[in-house]
Amino acid sequence: MPHLVPNIKKFPRFLCDTLKRERIPEVTESQKTAASQDAKMEVEKDRNRAALRKTFYGRILRSIIVGFWVMVIAFSLMRLSPGDPVRLALGADVTEEAVEAFRTQLGLDKPFYLQFWDYFLGIFRGDLGYSYFSGRDVTEILGTHLPVTLMIIALSILFAALISLPLALWVATSKSNTVNYLFRALTSISLAIPGFFLALLGLLVFGVYFNIAPAAGYEGAFPGNLRYLWLPALANCGSLVPVLSRVLHSSLVDTLDEEFVETGIIRGVRKSRFYWSYLLRPSLAPTVVLLSYMVGVMIGGTVIMETIFSLPGIGRELITAVDGRDYPVVQSIAMIFGLIVVFFSFIGDLTGYLLDRRVTLS
Amino acid sequence: MSIAIEGKKEKKFLKEGTFGIYTGFFMLGSLVLAGAIIPWISKYGPDELASMPLAPPSRANFFGTDVLGRDVFVRVFDAVFIDLGTAIIGVAIPLVVGTIIGTLLGISQNKRVNSVVGSVIDGINAFPFLVFVIALIAFIGPGVGSIVLAISLVNWARYARIARTRAVVVNKQGYVEAARTLGFSKKRILFKHIIPNVSSETRAYALSDFIIVIIAIAALSFLGLGIKPPQAEWGGMIRDGKDLLTVGFWWPTVFPGIALCWAGIAVAFISEGLTRRMREVGTR
Repeated sequence: MPHLVPNIKKFPRFLCDTLKRERIPEVTESQKTAASQDAKMEVEKDRNRAALRKTFYGRILRSIIVGFWVMVIAFSLMRLSPGDPVRLALGADVTEEAVEAFRTQLGLDKPFYLQFWDYFLGIFRGDLGYSYFSGRDVTEILGTHLPVTLMIIALSILFAALISLPLALWVATSKSNTVNYLFRALTSISLAIPGFFLALLGLLVFGVYFNIAPAAGYEGAFPGNLRYLWLPALANCGSLVPVLSRVLHSSLVDTLDEEFVETGIIRGVRKSRFYWSYLLRPSLAPTVVLLSYMVGVMIGGTVIMETIFSLPGIGRELITAVDGRDYPVVQSIAMIFGLIVVFFSFIGDLTGYLLDRRVTLS
Repeated sequence: MSIAIEGKKEKKFLKEGTFGIYTGFFMLGSLVLAGAIIPWISKYGPDELASMPLAPPSRANFFGTDVLGRDVFVRVFDAVFIDLGTAIIGVAIPLVVGTIIGTLLGISQNKRVNSVVGSVIDGINAFPFLVFVIALIAFIGPGVGSIVLAISLVNWARYARIARTRAVVVNKQGYVEAARTLGFSKKRILFKHIIPNVSSETRAYALSDFIIVIIAIAALSFLGLGIKPPQAEWGGMIRDGKDLLTVGFWWPTVFPGIALCWAGIAVAFISEGLTRRMREVGTR
């Protein structure tokens, strides 16, 4: 059966080690060829390590540049305002002197690049300015409210993974056309259902009908707050599940066409090992990269969920600040969210690369 | 996919994706038609007192009435044009601007401009879409115009990124080289040869983006930052009804929500159908 002889070039790297162990005795007949083989592998290893280092530093540099632009863009938001932000913040009936004094106090009388320089230095000192109204430090606001938001995002991603992983596996391994067709249609439909509508329906079903989810309120401690967070997270992952399961499904289908899967079936690999090493691990890289890009979408959804369920997260703080035209707060929250996304796309790219070295980083 | 491998059932009843496209267009068409006809023939105006406040769905008021006694049925269909219209403009402007800027970047030889503008684009794309739009609206103020402006300011970068990657490929194609050899003007090559081929990709993205934008517009109104209240708008109607939902008055919230989903699903079907058809053409 010639087609059963594995083509080593097509295998992902993590499988090559296992296969080399089987193949090397046949290939290396004399000592000489074995030595040259070893030398070749050494070179190959070095090259791999160098490539890894290069991509790693390249990604870090790129993330720093993008992060810098995120700060610049967030900072120049203030300049977009058609009116004078200081005058708008203070209200209509204030004297010229008060406006000027406030302007000097905020450092708005300096040229743009100096203002940005001050702001930039402030970020590294942990000083993001303070709210026009409550007078609180923006850093303090972020410190108290960011954990809630991050927790909702983490829970949403967990729920999304728990739903889409089995779903994609089931659909990809199923031979039925109906299942595939239904999967496509249903993911299309759920892609178009807005998160806030889903949240309200969830509230209607779980909050009113079954009465197992509180409509509002929050408590700080970790295991207790899950009671308040599970429904927002579930509603929030509604926009993530279709995208995630689709990408996972299509890469699973591609993996199933590979020869090593056939080899795995014929060799009778243990089921758990087959699913993880042969199917999931080679197909997971695009999903992980996508997941890191979807963090931005999750943040957007969380803002809405926090407003609906009155959770004390950073998103509700953002809406309050927007309503009150509290510019330093809006600016800093937007910047922090941008930086979080930059950070996660860096992590995601790297993880995707480590999971499957065949992925070329763009 | 398995059909092709097994070699059976090669002849199919319908071309791949046709069903989705037809269903999508039917759903969208019926919504637009209803949006044109129903406010025109109905007894009540969208802002008129139709019946008792919070009257349940009945033969007089198909979808019931909201907290101010306005007919939900009329209001849902009165909102069709403002919602769809804003979304269409909010997709069209970034599509055109982003495609042109991205294409110019992709074919330009100036490395410095390329990397600087490229990283600015990446910087804009790094912001979560909804958060950036909300922040922009905080600075430029709410309203239909500023929603469109804010969405355009954020979204052009996404199109520009797609167009740029594509333009680099298209620029190296034989037909562009041939046009250059024939001595066509740069403008003609750009608009007749490069942009049509780049925009096929950005237009495909625009369809899926339309869903995101229409949800974002409703979400902004839902947060109270979008289209202002007297105007019937799905997101705003959901906002008005959301506190009544938990006390048993579900109709002022659920019907606008269904209309919003209906519009989104219609476009999702069209987009899905077109993608499948394009893939089939590609593999043939």
